[in-house]
Amino acid sequence: MTSALETLLGYAQDPQRFNYTAAELRDLQVQALNERFQDRKDKIRLLRHRAEEAGIEEITSVEDMVPLLFPHTAYKSYPESFLMEEKWDRLTKWLGTVSPYPIEGVDLEGITDIDDWIARLAAKGYYISCSSGTTGKSAMLIASQKDMDWSKIDTVQVFSWGSGVKPEANRYMVGCAPVATVPKNQTIAEAQKAAFSHPELGRWNYPVPPITVGSLTKMVVMRKKMADGTASPQEIADFEATSADRQKVLDDAIELTAQHIIENRDKLLMVSGLWSGLYAVAKAVRDKGYSAKDFNPDNCIYVGGGLKRAQLPADYKEFVHETFNIRPEQDFQNYSMQELNSGMPKCREGNRYHVPPWIVPMILDKEGDALVPYDVNGGEIEGRAAFFDLSLDGRWGGVISGDRISLDYSPCACGNKGPSVRDNIARYADLEGDDKIGCAGTIDAYVRGVA
Amino acid sequence: MTEIIQKLDANAEPIVSAPFFLRGELVEGNDIVQKSRDLGVTFATPNIPYDKAIPKRTEVPPLLNVPVSEIIDFLVETGQRLVAPDNEYVHECFDRMASTHILPRSVFETVGKHAVAYLDKRILEAEVEQSFRDPGALDGWVPKEDFTGRKSFVRAYAPRLIHVLPGNSPGVAVKSIAQGALVKAVNLFKMSSADPFYTVAILRTMAQIDPEHPIVKSMSAVYWRGGDAAVENVLYRPQYFDKIVAWGGGDAINNVIKYLGPGFQLVSFDPKTSISMVGREALASEEIMEETASRCAADLMMLNQEACAASRYQFVEGPQDLVDKWCAKFQRNIAERAAASGDVRPLSGDLRDEVEALMMMDDEYGTWGKADGKGLVIRSEEPVDFHPINKIGNVVRVDSLDDAVKYVNVATQTIGFYPSERMADYRDRLGAGGAQRVCPLGEAGPSTVGNPWDGMYPLHRFVNWMVNEDGMGE
Repeated sequence: MTSALETLLGYAQDPQRFNYTAAELRDLQVQALNERFQDRKDKIRLLRHRAEEAGIEEITSVEDMVPLLFPHTAYKSYPESFLMEEKWDRLTKWLGTVSPYPIEGVDLEGITDIDDWIARLAAKGYYISCSSGTTGKSAMLIASQKDMDWSKIDTVQVFSWGSGVKPEANRYMVGCAPVATVPKNQTIAEAQKAAFSHPELGRWNYPVPPITVGSLTKMVVMRKKMADGTASPQEIADFEATSADRQKVLDDAIELTAQHIIENRDKLLMVSGLWSGLYAVAKAVRDKGYSAKDFNPDNCIYVGGGLKRAQLPADYKEFVHETFNIRPEQDFQNYSMQELNSGMPKCREGNRYHVPPWIVPMILDKEGDALVPYDVNGGEIEGRAAFFDLSLDGRWGGVISGDRISLDYSPCACGNKGPSVRDNIARYADLEGDDKIGCAGTIDAYVRGVA
Repeated sequence: MTEIIQKLDANAEPIVSAPFFLRGELVEGNDIVQKSRDLGVTFATPNIPYDKAIPKRTEVPPLLNVPVSEIIDFLVETGQRLVAPDNEYVHECFDRMASTHILPRSVFETVGKHAVAYLDKRILEAEVEQSFRDPGALDGWVPKEDFTGRKSFVRAYAPRLIHVLPGNSPGVAVKSIAQGALVKAVNLFKMSSADPFYTVAILRTMAQIDPEHPIVKSMSAVYWRGGDAAVENVLYRPQYFDKIVAWGGGDAINNVIKYLGPGFQLVSFDPKTSISMVGREALASEEIMEETASRCAADLMMLNQEACAASRYQFVEGPQDLVDKWCAKFQRNIAERAAASGDVRPLSGDLRDEVEALMMMDDEYGTWGKADGKGLVIRSEEPVDFHPINKIGNVVRVDSLDDAVKYVNVATQTIGFYPSERMADYRDRLGAGGAQRVCPLGEAGPSTVGNPWDGMYPLHRFVNWMVNEDGMGE
């Protein structure tokens, strides 16, 4: 007999996978959640702790899952000193508290830096990806080979579904934003290249030095040294100079990419990136006198995420589309996050992000403590987005996000009957001002710069 | 986050009203619906009547020529009225505050009343006498003659102050009003969203004593959301105010900095972290362990660890097995005080995650208690990354207190020290690290009357020093 989990994951191959209503999927999803829970509850220490605290021994409803969801911060809760002092054995041990598989066989001798540590783990099948490393500790998300394999298929499927572009390996791919060099991103890039890129054309990578985890964590380490008072003035001066150099490289990359796109404007293009990068490159292209009329009418675009705090003019989307001659129906956007292993593509008719059967969406109150009342038979609700990605193998699939979303259980205008997310996703952190004043505080208030 | 919704809906849920006080006049109104930062509770305020709130510079400050002794007498009487059982303003205030403050009523009410102890004749006199070489400079023009025979008069002139009050301690309102009065200032108090009530209650009590008193005419209290440019662009001007007195860090200060310039200065009470340094003498016996654990818990539990002087990190000198024994006693003492305070706030999600991660690594971190906001101690070899708050002690074991000195930094305010006899050996190094205060363990709360705070004599920093040169006195 096929388990509920296997059934739901099997939908990945189903062209109608977004057409199953939440109501018809619900029982299957609850069973699958329980399968994952029973399998993992004694393997992930943090999960076991949460389950014991909440008194949960079985998942009989989606509500049972709420206290077991992991927020982003669960993956950045390792002590900073492990990074500062390069305690790779301890960092590996911490990683074991959020991993369902014992981390074994990794050679921890002679590790030169965190990138080396990550490479050693990857060599043994433990893939570490990071996010949000610019203002604090990086969240370290562990994934398995199974997750990498799943991601390869999913990334092509969501793009093809949402844009109508078939994986015919006939395009020239142009990256318009820096991409962190982490296993997941590399896996996705390889899969997309194999599916969409013309073998003779390859892919244009945004011309900046690799953004490795090490380069991200350098900032964390510098910030901590400043707070501790152990950073020397020369170290700070060197760091500032490096930051200035880095900014120049980023600025140059925009010009180089714009020029490169112009030189290849006769080709069938697939441009990708985040809105801020795409807009900057598009503006540079316009400034050189080129626009839609110069580009192939069958070009397509791949955008990951929303604005991500970028400040752009109101017409930024139209501006980008009309620069590269992207037809409205070949516009593509995806809603996902580093914590998930699957994407939610935006459809063309309804302009909404569709949730696949193996992702169980949950809308929580702002505090993330309880489900907002909902009806799987229809209706829209708004609140903090939480998901359980049943496809996740190398870590727990339950996540609480920092996003405010509107989820609708009614059919979308495109005809698909599965749940979908409105295109008004916002980060709670961006919605709130700060009126909290207190005299108790920390050394962080005394550290200027190092953003 | 404060959402400003104009035109209050008559059918909306009952909303707590937070009136303003403008130089003797109570202004009620529900023009703006605001939201408290900590609890997200809505309260309503009037629009700010700017012309009423900001006296003209062409008017001599009302208190300028009122003797300090008379001001002190008025403040003392205010204190007596504030703690009187029949003070309706205070009762009403605490009723309303219960819905906006993060601490339970029993805690902030006790703190609010305890803060009134500051309104004591001897305390206030000591503050003035220790802040000024010649306190007479507050009341008049003090004559001087230099060694060349040149004469002049110097005055500590009444300033025009905006006070941005912190939300974590209602007692600051009492002290800020008193200090503003002692320096004869024209004062505008920006109340916090956690407590948009107590300042007005104090001022209404004053108005009841004498509605025409110059102190009453020198005080206004209003609320706006911190960072609201529509308000701050109007108020934060040297034409209207000399100095802004602000607490905290981050946005609270960043909001202000952009307005600073010639004639408009910042006096900041910086965000502070306090610690304890516990020598090996504390581990010498069960009795001493119990006593020092209790004292340290008292320091940690100041305002349930919301105060800047509350201990966050405790550097304990000794072997791990004895330190762990001490930790267990420390946690029990914290938990007992927490239970007695009635404060049952859970840990925030982020904080709980950090704590639980350390609990998962139990061969490196000792933990006593649960991540439930009822008292927790974490023992580590280095300070934890997060800021211990909501009744969490981070005991850092050290072989020698010398090893703890490096953790003192510019954010360190108070260091509770045991044994007291060793303080003198350490205070120069502690000052070099950036600490501002060292005291016996268990005494982070009380302080010697009139002493500097946050590295300064605030009253001296508030006034504007004015000179009347009088020539060579021919």
